[in-house]
Amino acid sequence: MKIIRYSGLVFFFLLIITIACKEEQYVYEVNEVEVNPNNSGKNKEKSVSQFISILYANMYQKALSPDDLVEITELIASIGDKKIAYETVLAKMITDPDIKIPTNGEMRSNIEQFVIETYKRFYVRLPTEAEKTYLTNYIESNPDVTPILVYFSFATANEYNYY
Amino acid sequence: MKRRDFIKKAALTTAGTISMPYILPTGRLFASTGSQMAGHVIFVMFAGGVRQQESMGKKYLAESQGLDIEGNIMYNMLAGDAPELKIVYGVDTTDGQPGGQPIDRILNTTLEKQGTLFKEVRYTHGGTGHFVGLSTGVSGYYGITQGLQGRPQHPTIFEYLRRHAGLKATDTWFIGNGINNSTPLLNYSAHPDYGRQYGANFFAPNVTFGQQGQDHLKGFLNFHPDEEMSRIDEMREFLNHAYLANGHEIPHLYNTDEERYNIKQFIENTFEQLDNNQIAFPPVVDNGDLSTIGYATEVLKWFKPKMMVINMFAVDSCHSNYTGYLKSLHRADHAVGHLWKFIQEEVPEMANDTVMIVMPEHGRNYESNAITDVNDWFAFDHDSDANSRRIFTQMVGPCVDANLIVGDENNPVGNAADVVPTIADIFGIKNEVFAKGLLHPEAMSLFDRI
Repeated sequence: MKIIRYSGLVFFFLLIITIACKEEQYVYEVNEVEVNPNNSGKNKEKSVSQFISILYANMYQKALSPDDLVEITELIASIGDKKIAYETVLAKMITDPDIKIPTNGEMRSNIEQFVIETYKRFYVRLPTEAEKTYLTNYIESNPDVTPILVYFSFATANEYNYY
Repeated sequence: MKRRDFIKKAALTTAGTISMPYILPTGRLFASTGSQMAGHVIFVMFAGGVRQQESMGKKYLAESQGLDIEGNIMYNMLAGDAPELKIVYGVDTTDGQPGGQPIDRILNTTLEKQGTLFKEVRYTHGGTGHFVGLSTGVSGYYGITQGLQGRPQHPTIFEYLRRHAGLKATDTWFIGNGINNSTPLLNYSAHPDYGRQYGANFFAPNVTFGQQGQDHLKGFLNFHPDEEMSRIDEMREFLNHAYLANGHEIPHLYNTDEERYNIKQFIENTFEQLDNNQIAFPPVVDNGDLSTIGYATEVLKWFKPKMMVINMFAVDSCHSNYTGYLKSLHRADHAVGHLWKFIQEEVPEMANDTVMIVMPEHGRNYESNAITDVNDWFAFDHDSDANSRRIFTQMVGPCVDANLIVGDENNPVGNAADVVPTIADIFGIKNEVFAKGLLHPEAMSLFDRI
């Protein structure tokens, strides 16, 4: 009988100890990482006015005026093939000396960084290693490729039309 | 080779040629089953809503304003003398009389004499609204449940031609009077078996080359295809490949690279022509329809399209301005006359090889509304009454009978949905188009109605 009484007491204390035990928490110190969307989630098509507003902001680093937005949106509507419409409107913008675009020298002084910045500017994400490597090598090996041609390619590629 | 072997092999070859499908460049399997009647078709949507009384009836003011003055103000298209009194539809006279000087006729022989006129055609289904009328014209199907901001539900003539006759994108053009009333949505349908990969190129040239184009397009940098553009294409191909998993793309009409460059060159050239006053506008160009026709002739000259639809619209001023309507009707006739003359005289590749079809998208009411204009003349709407379902269809060109009038008010012949099968007939793909079963059930080729 005594054994039964003491074992009950021991069980009670063991239970208290178990409940009172707290799992040790580990804190890992890691560097802060900027999380950018990858392109797989971009499946909503930009409206024409969204496309134009964002394109203008990317090229001029300032907002498009409401009057110009209306005019360009109407212009885009007047051309059936949107690829042609977007390409020609952008091709007009790049003739404007006010657009904010790196010089060829700036691009070639650090091509890898230029590629990263271009992805962030147009696609709001970082390039994958494959993308970074390919475009860096491409620009390096083709001296006739200018920042304008790179910007034009990014702004008229399919990913730019989606968010 | 023995005679027996030769005959056997020849027979096998012949049988193989007959039974093996031929894959055309556009991917279609069989050549068209019909014979082609002409190399080019121009369909003018004489749109905005035209009353039969002032067009086919040549009644001028007699069946609208209670004035006993009749006459023909469409004397390039129709035979008959012009009104002699209360002339308001022309250009202003030198002494300041508004509209007092009728515009000189362009064609020596009216289209009525040159071709076939279906004088009483019916718009049989749905309300007489612009967009349903226009989409019926280009698709041969009354989209009576058609949303006003949606593409036609059934394939357009452009899609039939690109898919079944193997036309390329720049062979097919839709020239719109503007960008309102969903006009830019008429160059291809929302039908899942067709769509934009078979769509027509489109310009609303009064916008493309108007103030909007002057401000934001003129002077654009057209990259050379063998130099800068080849670099862009290489980088873009890589970028698109990285994004291909999503299957999304910029909505385009599957113009080839060469076609895209050609269209850009056309845009550049048109701005230059404008600066040099060399656009082939009609002799009088004082409204949007006339400038639209002028730009359309530039497209004709540059691309020599197989199929072009041109939309006019100014006569819709009739909702509130009857005098303006008469002016616009007179100018629409001027525009058609100029277009036909231009094709015959300025585009040798299309002269004598082009069929032109002219049809309003719907009519207008018999009874006026209460709005009066500067001449105290009443205006007319289009509310689906019997009169607004009365239209006409005019055809001219090779393979079209000359000086033939079909139907009259008591014996209407033709349907607003007939134009698509008629064009399919001209291009020799009528059977293929009917076989798809997507036309209005009463639609027929007008050649079969004669």
